[in-house]
Amino acid sequence: MASENEVLVGAVAYSANVVPIWEGIRDYFRDSDAPMDFVLYSNYERQVEGLLAGHIDVAWNTNVAWVRTQRRTNGEARALASRDTDLTFKTYMISRAGSGLDDLASLKARRVALGSRDSGQARILPMFFLERAGLSADDMDLVIFDSDVGKHGDTGKSDLDALRAVIEDTADVAAVGSNTWEALLAAGDDTVADLAVTWVSENYTHCNFTALPSFPAERADVWVEHLMAMDWENPEHRRILELEGLTAWKPTDLAGYETLVEAMQAQGTADHW
Amino acid sequence: MSLDLTLRLIESVNATPAGSTALIDVTGTHDVSVAQRWAEATGNTILTVHPGAVEILRGRMTDPIAALPPDRRPGYRLWLYTNFHCNLACDYCCVSSSPRAVPRIVSSEDTAELVRQATAAGVEELFITGGEPFMLLDLDERLRAALPHLPTTVLTNAMVWQGERRTRLEALPREGLTFQISLDSATAELHDRHRGAGSFDRAIAGIRLAIELGFRVRVAATLGHDAGTAEIELIELFDSLDLDAEQRVVRRVAQQGAANEGLTVSRASLIPEVCATADGVWWHPVAAADPAMQVSTSWSPLDEVIDAVRDEYRQHRIRGDVLASSFPCA
Repeated sequence: MASENEVLVGAVAYSANVVPIWEGIRDYFRDSDAPMDFVLYSNYERQVEGLLAGHIDVAWNTNVAWVRTQRRTNGEARALASRDTDLTFKTYMISRAGSGLDDLASLKARRVALGSRDSGQARILPMFFLERAGLSADDMDLVIFDSDVGKHGDTGKSDLDALRAVIEDTADVAAVGSNTWEALLAAGDDTVADLAVTWVSENYTHCNFTALPSFPAERADVWVEHLMAMDWENPEHRRILELEGLTAWKPTDLAGYETLVEAMQAQGTADHW
Repeated sequence: MSLDLTLRLIESVNATPAGSTALIDVTGTHDVSVAQRWAEATGNTILTVHPGAVEILRGRMTDPIAALPPDRRPGYRLWLYTNFHCNLACDYCCVSSSPRAVPRIVSSEDTAELVRQATAAGVEELFITGGEPFMLLDLDERLRAALPHLPTTVLTNAMVWQGERRTRLEALPREGLTFQISLDSATAELHDRHRGAGSFDRAIAGIRLAIELGFRVRVAATLGHDAGTAEIELIELFDSLDLDAEQRVVRRVAQQGAANEGLTVSRASLIPEVCATADGVWWHPVAAADPAMQVSTSWSPLDEVIDAVRDEYRQHRIRGDVLASSFPCA
């Protein structure tokens, strides 16, 4: 039964795992001073609109959704918390081992596979990093995989499509997010032995819980305090944390969004599609 | 006992996201057959039967081979190394061919039998390579055995078409025959650095001769780390030879055979292109001297070898996709 005191959190249903993740988090908050429920959106644009319209109190946003929310609120939205893994997110350029490709400049005239156009890690930032290294789109043969538009790269599908293009020799290098690459490494898949890191970006910040100024700070503080108390050593908490890909909730590092803000501005990314 | 198993199947598999797997404990072959019947009836897929457990994929399995373009599916193209000796000793040769290499020749008779089995197995095209196939004076006999049944491409350096070989070349059918001629750069320096002094000029002459004689020609470049801007310069040369997109191939050196550096390849990371040699069958022609890439010590019966290659590729891709679908995302 819904309660007026419940914090309503929005999330995007990027996979079937989203349901057990948010049911687990809701259950964790049940007996706290800040009980919550969740609403699932089919894409981040819909979620940002829902947040701005006041349908939800907090949105679990990607970095791209955060920048868009900031633009739409004149920078007044607040980032309440992130995963520890969000603070060290990176983009990897992956090629076949032995390719001789060892920096971004070496990708001139090569086939470069990029992910979905709304993915910070697989498209927006890699293109920005390439341009920063002196390569324009015309200098490379871009192989584009718009595989999961609306999910901002969350499904990892466009990263995997780009990696597959390297394996199938339809691309020389693939841009992938650190979540995808590090999960592949951890799984020890045979194919990974034939791949190598051509280049890796600096850290940047990925997701955060976003709230508008209209969400009372005292309610936000109680909710965030309980969120931060999730404990990796507690098996029930750990089950949820593992599914969501973190070991601890942390304050958001806002400086880690500066590169994406610059990239979206340079590329003329619209405030909404 | 079956009811307990069925309830566990329903509970576990229905709670598993599509594309992910669930491991269900079973006892004995009866349980396995119950799980198989249940999976078939409910639109799920038994991936593996382990001792004491079955691994079930939530949902129907999509055949990874069907997802490939038809001409990249294993078994569409058959490669044949007719021999391993060569007039050149390229420093990146993936099978270490040279004038001193043991020839390991596949006879005309064996070639005819291989083509018969390939046609029966549904193979759509034949690629003949070596070594330098034209080192075999009677290569034309093999081509005459193959061409009525399969479009055939011969990989050649186009440098040995003199005397009797030239006569036999001119007498070859044009229909269905393509020569894929090696040329690594638009000027002599880079090409000759890896393939031997004077080889560039002779390759260019060979390309022009083949075109003049009315053969379909494809030009293939193999580029190493020192290629620099060779690929861009080659485009101009290809244009000057009036080659269309289908007649241009540019690939990178693989770290195989004589190559000390180059792309790393393995069965896990290559779409297989079944390749027969005098010594058996290999996963891919780029690695036909790598023991880890040998699929079989005999190419007969070819249909069974092709099926085995398809099965291995399918299993690997399914495993990879299952792994991919379980990634924690943002």
